[in-house]
Amino acid sequence: MSLLGPPGTKLPLLGNEAIARGVLEAGIYVVTGYPGTPSSEVIMTLQEYARELDMYVEWAVNERVALEVAIGAAISGARAMATMKAPGLNVASDPLLSAAYSGVDGGLVVYVADDPGPHTTQTEQDSRWYAKLAKLPMISPSTPQEAKDYVKVAVELSEALQLPVILRTTTRVSHAVGDVVFGGIQRPKKGGVFKKAPERFVRAGMDWNLARHKWLNAQLARVEEVAERYGLNRVYGEGELCIVSEGAAFNYIYEAVVERGLGAKLVKLGLLYPLPRRFLLENLKGCKRVLVFEELDPYIEEGLKTILYDAGLHVEVLGKSTGHVPLEGELDKGVALRALGLEPPPQSLKAHSVPRRPPPLCPGCPHRFTFLALKRAISRRGYKLSEVPVIGDIGCYALGVYQPIDMLWTEHSMGASISMAMGLKLAGFDKPVVAVIGDSTFYHAGLQSLIEAVNKRVDVLVVIMDNEVVAMTGHQSTPAWRTSETGRELKPVSLDELVKAIGPSELRVVDSYNLDELERAFTELLDKPGVKVVVSRHPCALLEARLKGVKVRFKVEEEKCTGCRACLLATGCPAIYMEGGKAHIILEDCNGCGLCARFCPQKAIVVAG
Amino acid sequence: MIVVIVRILIASVGGQGGLTLARTIAEAAVVSGLSARTGETLGMAQRYGSVVSYVQVGTEVYTPKFLPGEADYLVGLELVEALRNIHYLKESGVALVADEYRPPFTMSSERPQSTRAEILDALKSSTSRLLVVPARRLAVEAGSARALNMVMLGALNAASKLFKHSVVEEAIKRALPPRAVEASIKAYYSGFKYAESLLEPSK
Repeated sequence: MSLLGPPGTKLPLLGNEAIARGVLEAGIYVVTGYPGTPSSEVIMTLQEYARELDMYVEWAVNERVALEVAIGAAISGARAMATMKAPGLNVASDPLLSAAYSGVDGGLVVYVADDPGPHTTQTEQDSRWYAKLAKLPMISPSTPQEAKDYVKVAVELSEALQLPVILRTTTRVSHAVGDVVFGGIQRPKKGGVFKKAPERFVRAGMDWNLARHKWLNAQLARVEEVAERYGLNRVYGEGELCIVSEGAAFNYIYEAVVERGLGAKLVKLGLLYPLPRRFLLENLKGCKRVLVFEELDPYIEEGLKTILYDAGLHVEVLGKSTGHVPLEGELDKGVALRALGLEPPPQSLKAHSVPRRPPPLCPGCPHRFTFLALKRAISRRGYKLSEVPVIGDIGCYALGVYQPIDMLWTEHSMGASISMAMGLKLAGFDKPVVAVIGDSTFYHAGLQSLIEAVNKRVDVLVVIMDNEVVAMTGHQSTPAWRTSETGRELKPVSLDELVKAIGPSELRVVDSYNLDELERAFTELLDKPGVKVVVSRHPCALLEARLKGVKVRFKVEEEKCTGCRACLLATGCPAIYMEGGKAHIILEDCNGCGLCARFCPQKAIVVAG
Repeated sequence: MIVVIVRILIASVGGQGGLTLARTIAEAAVVSGLSARTGETLGMAQRYGSVVSYVQVGTEVYTPKFLPGEADYLVGLELVEALRNIHYLKESGVALVADEYRPPFTMSSERPQSTRAEILDALKSSTSRLLVVPARRLAVEAGSARALNMVMLGALNAASKLFKHSVVEEAIKRALPPRAVEASIKAYYSGFKYAESLLEPSK
């Protein structure tokens, strides 16, 4: 697949790949962000073309930094984009609100992907409220084609209004494949001109801030009119029943209406903030009842009620407040049919109840070694596993919550492990507390937490699980890399030196695959006073296997295996399963770490071939 | 006007190539002048968790997913995952399932352990329209165990007759990395022939 095809090319693209093509068509020069499902593929896709097209496409240390870099570029006239998942927008919200007052010159697009379901996110956050909070225009596509087209719309709106524009998707748009027809590519628009204008860019002057707030409100009053020519808001069909929808939800209700041949007027919104008041009133004035079909919070529903009330229209609004549409979880055509008072299609085959398959740590994962060493050290120091909280963070190692690893007590927000562990200790928790955090999460937000813990002299064991990559989201670069994905030469920022500079009472660096040394370090440090840091370092096994191949793999010698399950119960490795009273290793999935062989009492697990 | 020609649910264990299979079908749809829409669960579930891809092919397709009871085909790359999703099939739907058994940790660690035969029996009792394919063997013969997904693409195309062989070959070239193309095409034909011989025994 090449993203560089001429106008008219039709390709099936993932929503995020379509957005990447949209970036090329919109002439965006700076693209930066922090990896987060379901937003990561925009940057991952563009990085392949960055050199050839002379663009800046790089991962940033976190979302706040990414957005600030993009703002800096845009106030000098460059076209820029920052990408993130929904919780990333929380991290970036500080610069977002100030950027609304300062405004931009080059188009600035803030791409945020929400996750109804949720499939891979800690909350079902509805980022549409951020548009209202930050007072910034927001547009929302329903399909990969629209996702591509709306990038250019966002850039043009941003430049016409001098405001950052938020492009918002959900999982079923950003991770849906659909056929996309290309438009023309523009040369990336660089900047480089920045005139001093403190009244616009300095938020320390309160009179200036008041003046810019007035300016912002005046710009917002123009959005519907300026956006009109892009046809973001559309009407489909005619009928007594009126429906307002947007994003992925629109697809479900549209298919339900068409499939059942209902006479309904479907109003699809692409502009979500400010809600298009004139368009809504014009198209809903004849309606007696309006069903609002949207995912997550009743955002349109509440806004629409205000608009109708202000216009003196007495229209019954059905939606989440009336119980027609659920407040939690993702929607589908079945929910759409029920909201319309219809039954979903019959289900003729009975569903079987099958044990769940939560995602485990991968075969060969270095985190498995770290967790097992920690488990043994806690026991060795005479504590029960149920006495020593392991305060977790965001990353692959959060999968250590599942059986049989079963080690994680919390997982909240980026960087929270060390600071929450600190809170536990200072509140009076009298047993040892362990914080575990990955390398990228440490750079992202853990650094400040470690500064706080060291500075306040709390007693906590901090384990930095360094696999030298942002693994969970698909192997993106960290600040420790020498060369970025686009071939840009980087100055590596050493994690060990950073930690050393903060000044914990102890710092040990151990290869994660060295189980005995890890266990020794944890045993020695677990209940010592002060902040003790162990960097458990080994490259991500999945990435290593992909880059270098797997040198040894293991197999089970069936005649020796007694089916005791020790290998499986100790490691939970997904390359191992039991069948016919014997353990089996899926050869092509084995990454050759050999951990299972250590636990086999029969020495039945040996190097294959 | 929405016209969905076929709905396919692909059930797999993360890492087996379910997403690539969905993408290859979408490519084939576009190569043959049709429209496709898929819905995926990427990210965390990708790594050895349960993965489901919804694939719809038609002249105009809107939704990224469909409902239980709506699938024309269930393509299972693994037995347990096929059983987990069997209710997605409509009454006349066909299940094409690889004879690949990878019980999740909870099934593997408990006693007595569930067996391959139990899962197969449960599948058989659910639907008579079931074709079990020795996909691993055929994939290894074609050159790579990783081509199991392409064996199942062959089985799907034998059952559905959705695409011409030349269209599938082109789609494989577009969707897979160059080094995997040769084994993938071989695996596709091998899956096609295996399924065809069972579906139309008279020929």
